[in-house]
Amino acid sequence: MNVSNAAVRVRGLVKDHGRGQGRVRAVDEVDLEVPQGQMLAVMGPSGCGKSTLLHLLGGLERPTDGEVWVAGRRIDMLSERALARMRRRSVGFVFQAFHLVEELSAAENVELPALLAGRSRRQARRRASLLLERVGLAARARHLPSQLSGGQRQRVAVARALVNDPLVVLADEPTGNLDTAATLDVLKIFEELRSPGQSFVIVTHDERVAATADRLVSMRDGMFVDDTWLAGSHPRGLGGLIGLEG
Amino acid sequence: MGSLALVARLVLADVRRHKVQAAMLLLAVTVATATMALGLSLRDVSDGLYEQTRAATAGPDVVVLSGDKGPAVTSALTSLADAPEVVAHHGPYRIVYADLTTRDSTSSSVVSSSVVSSPVVVHGFAETPGAVNRPLVTSGYWVRPGGTVLERGFAAALGVRVGDDVTIAGRPYPVVGIAVTAATSIYPWAAQIGPGGGPSDSSGLAWMTRSDARTLASSHELPVTLAMDLKLRDPAATEAFRHAHRVPAVRINFHSWQFKATQDMVILRDSQPILVVGSWLLSFLAVTGVAALAVARAAEQTRRAGLLKAVGAGPGLIGTVLLAEYLALALAGDALGLAIARLALPAIASPTASRIGEAAGPTVATVITATILALVVAVLSTLRPTLRAMRTATVSALSAGAYQPRHRPWLTALSALLPTPLLLGLRLTARRPDRAVLQACSTATTVIAIVALLTRYVQPERGYGPDGSLALPNLRDEHDRRLMLAVAVLLIALAVVNTITLTWTTAMEAQANMAIARTLGATPGQISAGLSIAQLLPGLPGAVLGVPLGLGLLSIFAAPNWTVPPYSWLYGAALATLLATAALTALPARLAARRPVAQALSAETA
Repeated sequence: MNVSNAAVRVRGLVKDHGRGQGRVRAVDEVDLEVPQGQMLAVMGPSGCGKSTLLHLLGGLERPTDGEVWVAGRRIDMLSERALARMRRRSVGFVFQAFHLVEELSAAENVELPALLAGRSRRQARRRASLLLERVGLAARARHLPSQLSGGQRQRVAVARALVNDPLVVLADEPTGNLDTAATLDVLKIFEELRSPGQSFVIVTHDERVAATADRLVSMRDGMFVDDTWLAGSHPRGLGGLIGLEG
Repeated sequence: MGSLALVARLVLADVRRHKVQAAMLLLAVTVATATMALGLSLRDVSDGLYEQTRAATAGPDVVVLSGDKGPAVTSALTSLADAPEVVAHHGPYRIVYADLTTRDSTSSSVVSSSVVSSPVVVHGFAETPGAVNRPLVTSGYWVRPGGTVLERGFAAALGVRVGDDVTIAGRPYPVVGIAVTAATSIYPWAAQIGPGGGPSDSSGLAWMTRSDARTLASSHELPVTLAMDLKLRDPAATEAFRHAHRVPAVRINFHSWQFKATQDMVILRDSQPILVVGSWLLSFLAVTGVAALAVARAAEQTRRAGLLKAVGAGPGLIGTVLLAEYLALALAGDALGLAIARLALPAIASPTASRIGEAAGPTVATVITATILALVVAVLSTLRPTLRAMRTATVSALSAGAYQPRHRPWLTALSALLPTPLLLGLRLTARRPDRAVLQACSTATTVIAIVALLTRYVQPERGYGPDGSLALPNLRDEHDRRLMLAVAVLLIALAVVNTITLTWTTAMEAQANMAIARTLGATPGQISAGLSIAQLLPGLPGAVLGVPLGLGLLSIFAAPNWTVPPYSWLYGAALATLLATAALTALPARLAARRPVAQALSAETA
């Protein structure tokens, strides 16, 4: 496998939580490679290590053992500062709990990563406006998160994850708090906003969400137990395909 | 009884869970009440010590002094002694104005020892003291031919003991004893009047036999005044006696015992405002620090109130439970502060050794005032979150989450133009304007303390040696400097604790947002710098305003001709305060910024 072609690559990844007798292995000797442009869904029961895997891929946690490569660069050895720089350029996060900054408006939330990445306020504002328009929230750009529905908040979070045009988007149960219609909205947005070569890793419980991916891996007890390459993605007629329409 | 037991159990459980907050409230209230009790007790203690010295030395009710000479003076004094209001008298006796020199016995090396010189007034007394004005010998013996007895405050300032030699007007005298008297003011105001009845300099007091005093005066042609001590039938009627016995032909000064008691307070004139104003500032900082912690616990308190409401507690019980912890700790701090004040009073209220006796503890009025102060600190710190918790509907209270900051679009837009640490710092500051105000106040108070300290140190020094030389230090200035230093150190210590507390509570409250910023690419260094900047931004106006506020406060209490320190010093101190704030916030900010992102986000989700 050509390393430079992989958006994300892990080898022998191990993550233990706790110490001594209370130690729990959350991720156990995982190998994974996500090519550029691939949408990967990770499924598994609660506590199987899905979210921990996602945190390791984004450099939010450090592995106990193994290697993590993002955009052709090994990140598990990087300093916190270098990890932060890497996240600015290469990674976007979407969380189940949205994790929007409550005192900032939708537009201000979306432009925040651009400002952190050193873009001018004007550039950040323009990019945020564009993305909010594409997620259908242009009219709500000035609303605070508390004034938005769950689905709208998650759409803001998706726009925020994409504002720096990252190589990989890591989504942790992005539809876990959403109703069916909002889930469909978010999935559509993922498809529509995905730029060429951009990879998605989506942790989900929802099989219907997983069905939209190019590839599905199943986890149990910190290990991959199944790795299925699905028959292409379904940008159109997605809802019908996965049973979310009608 | 059941309710009381329940409240006590809940309060104890809460104190155990929040030990740091409890310790901080206890410490802050202790310091504030101790300082206030000391400030309010000075006059009572000073008066008490004078009273005890007066009783032990048969202190006169009136001392009559005249700088004039001749038979008219002697006749006038004799007629006063024969006045019907007078039941006993001592004198007339000579007061001789001279200079006293001694080796500086405080110097550790004999070779480097220096001569210490001071103005002295020598009282010519009988070898057997009479019924009025019997100085109490505290060590050695009473006067005998060829020897001198020094007043205890004076001897202490000179560092002279019984057996040492002193030189008075060029003639050596062995010090045969040390004594105290209530007939004169405390050292260094023993002269009462100057030669010829004019103004007097700072002087010590020495006694000799009458013949030695006469010889001393005549051999060196030293200035002399005459004095007489009177005991009245009605000791309180000194003013009436003075009015009734004006002598037109000669200049006679009447010094009542009440006047001398008041004069004793002169040495403490500036101590009282230092302590009382210091206690206000300390209380203010106590409110600031405890309020910061109480605000950080507001959501928890609201949930607690909701829980109590849900199980049937009434508003009274809920209010009691929420406030009892703070009130109990405040009262404990008050008791501790009063005990500390009681122990510290003798040293602070009697900076000279001129008086004897036990310093009484704080009066009932002082205890009540200090207790009110402690309760005010507790209530002001916690009333707002407590009222909010009580007023929140039960269901809302049970699900009370983290504080929801207001949206401030203009500030968000402004911060977007700034580098990341400033962007984060400004937005963190804007999240909690109340906390920013507390930080600004805390910084301003610190700068006020430093301005006061600098001002104290730039005042021209005038010692108690001849012509104001510093060979004998100015006891009052030294005492005030020590007090001001102590109060300033306490203020700065509380401000340091406040700054660390405010940084930590800011960090804890914003940890979810900071974790989000980390996921979006902010580095730990930027987060840490942002947290520090969040304290520095409100600290900046606090530091700038602290300088004029400090000068304004000092202008109320300072002498009319006080010297203002150079403004470069004052604003240098303000800058140093900000730099110290940055340094103090660095550690908690760094610790908070290092918290794993995933852990912070999980906590938020939970």
